[in-house]
Amino acid sequence: MITNDQDDTGIVFRKTTGHYTVHANGRDIDCVLSSLIHKQLIYPTADPTSLRHRVQEVRKIDHVDPIAIGDRVRFIPIAEARQNRGLITEVLPRLSKLSRPAPVPGQRVFEQVIVSNVDLVLPVFAVAEPTPKWGLLDRYLVSAESSKLSVLIVITKLDMAWKNKDFDSDLEAYRRTGYPIQLVSANTCEGIEELKRTLQGKTSVLVGKSGVGKTSLLNAIQPGLGLRVKEVSKGEQGKGRHTTTHLEMFRLDFGGTIVDTPGMREFGLWEVSGEELAYLFPEMANHVGKCKFGLSCHHDTEPGCAIRKAVMAGEISPHRYKSYMNLRREL
Amino acid sequence: MRNHVSSFGDFRCTHCHNLVSAAHTLSGVNNRNHCPYCLWSSHLDLFVAGDRLSACKGQMKPIGLTMKKSRNKYRLEARGELMLIHECTECAALSINRIAADDDSESILMVFHDSCEHNDQIFQLCEQHGIVTLGADAIRTIQAQLYGPLIEALIPMWE
Repeated sequence: MITNDQDDTGIVFRKTTGHYTVHANGRDIDCVLSSLIHKQLIYPTADPTSLRHRVQEVRKIDHVDPIAIGDRVRFIPIAEARQNRGLITEVLPRLSKLSRPAPVPGQRVFEQVIVSNVDLVLPVFAVAEPTPKWGLLDRYLVSAESSKLSVLIVITKLDMAWKNKDFDSDLEAYRRTGYPIQLVSANTCEGIEELKRTLQGKTSVLVGKSGVGKTSLLNAIQPGLGLRVKEVSKGEQGKGRHTTTHLEMFRLDFGGTIVDTPGMREFGLWEVSGEELAYLFPEMANHVGKCKFGLSCHHDTEPGCAIRKAVMAGEISPHRYKSYMNLRREL
Repeated sequence: MRNHVSSFGDFRCTHCHNLVSAAHTLSGVNNRNHCPYCLWSSHLDLFVAGDRLSACKGQMKPIGLTMKKSRNKYRLEARGELMLIHECTECAALSINRIAADDDSESILMVFHDSCEHNDQIFQLCEQHGIVTLGADAIRTIQAQLYGPLIEALIPMWE
């Protein structure tokens, strides 16, 4: 029996296949989706005063999952013998979201909203094991810039710094760009207190490839969580194996919430066009429009390109420029 | 030299406009650096061969030949490997590049003869970058590298 006399709102904290844990009024409620959310109902707009409110068209939604962690949802409590169950009827407008094209086979590309309503994105990279892929970091940064989200680059496994001699010079490009960077070690707890101060009162999300130590970092930030962690596997060229297999949001004792995500080896850009890409690299944004061909410049082989000139002058890192060109070819 | 079609695939030379295959089986090198027909290159690498980090992307003209010593004394080319010297027409950067298996030998010899004509200018330029250019006296060595060691025995017979 559904009691629809009073709709409640809450925040989605956890999701597994078909089930969503919504936190509302101090309780965790196990919810399922209303069938209406699976479809997009189109109503006629020709006569808004019409009393007959008929559905004109039903379209399939363009998302892999209409609900993301961090979503504020409206749900109807279901009164049954087992309490704390509900039916999600509406997703409230999102203030922000971090999306990627869903890695599903087929020609049609769907949006996968990884997390919504967050304040801070924490791209996590290890000093070594696995070796940092700076191109992936650039993808996270562009995606966060596109969603107008703040970023804090977190570098873990600081105690392994001796294994990567090029690390400091590689990171210098991001320091110069102005992105805040926090170096931490979950083993020695170095940098953990500073990180806690940054996370306080915010909703943050940890993103990074498998094995970089996202969950270990979370355990170091809040030891009571006791989340499952593993050693990085050696068999697959140190690519790491997926220990965390679902998305979950955690409440932090010192204030704020944080979302742990499974490792992502692929991170495509969603709703970013080739024309706006240069604006999403902060160090390049000032040079856009100053090229010989103005806004039509692709910043590739065109003569009189201001961005290429800035790279040659040392104002822009050649690695960042290469990332820009790689992303530009995809779009 | 590469057009902007693909970073590591086949490309059309923007100097002679020939279509160039990047297949390793044809060139024998991992990073196709220059057009095998006109030998012109593009300024794409910055620190090491194949890093594709340069933003200059200017055309690179073959200006001469040099010999890179091999560390392996048992290799066939123990006395050195023939390399092309390229100069960027935009930023004047110099680079030396391995000759690929399918490079046109006649074009390489033309580059060599041109460099001999302007030897002083090129020699001084290369010397500033620590590169030793091959002079007219190296013709036998170059022919041996391009056509095989037997050519050294055959040339006196022709002469």
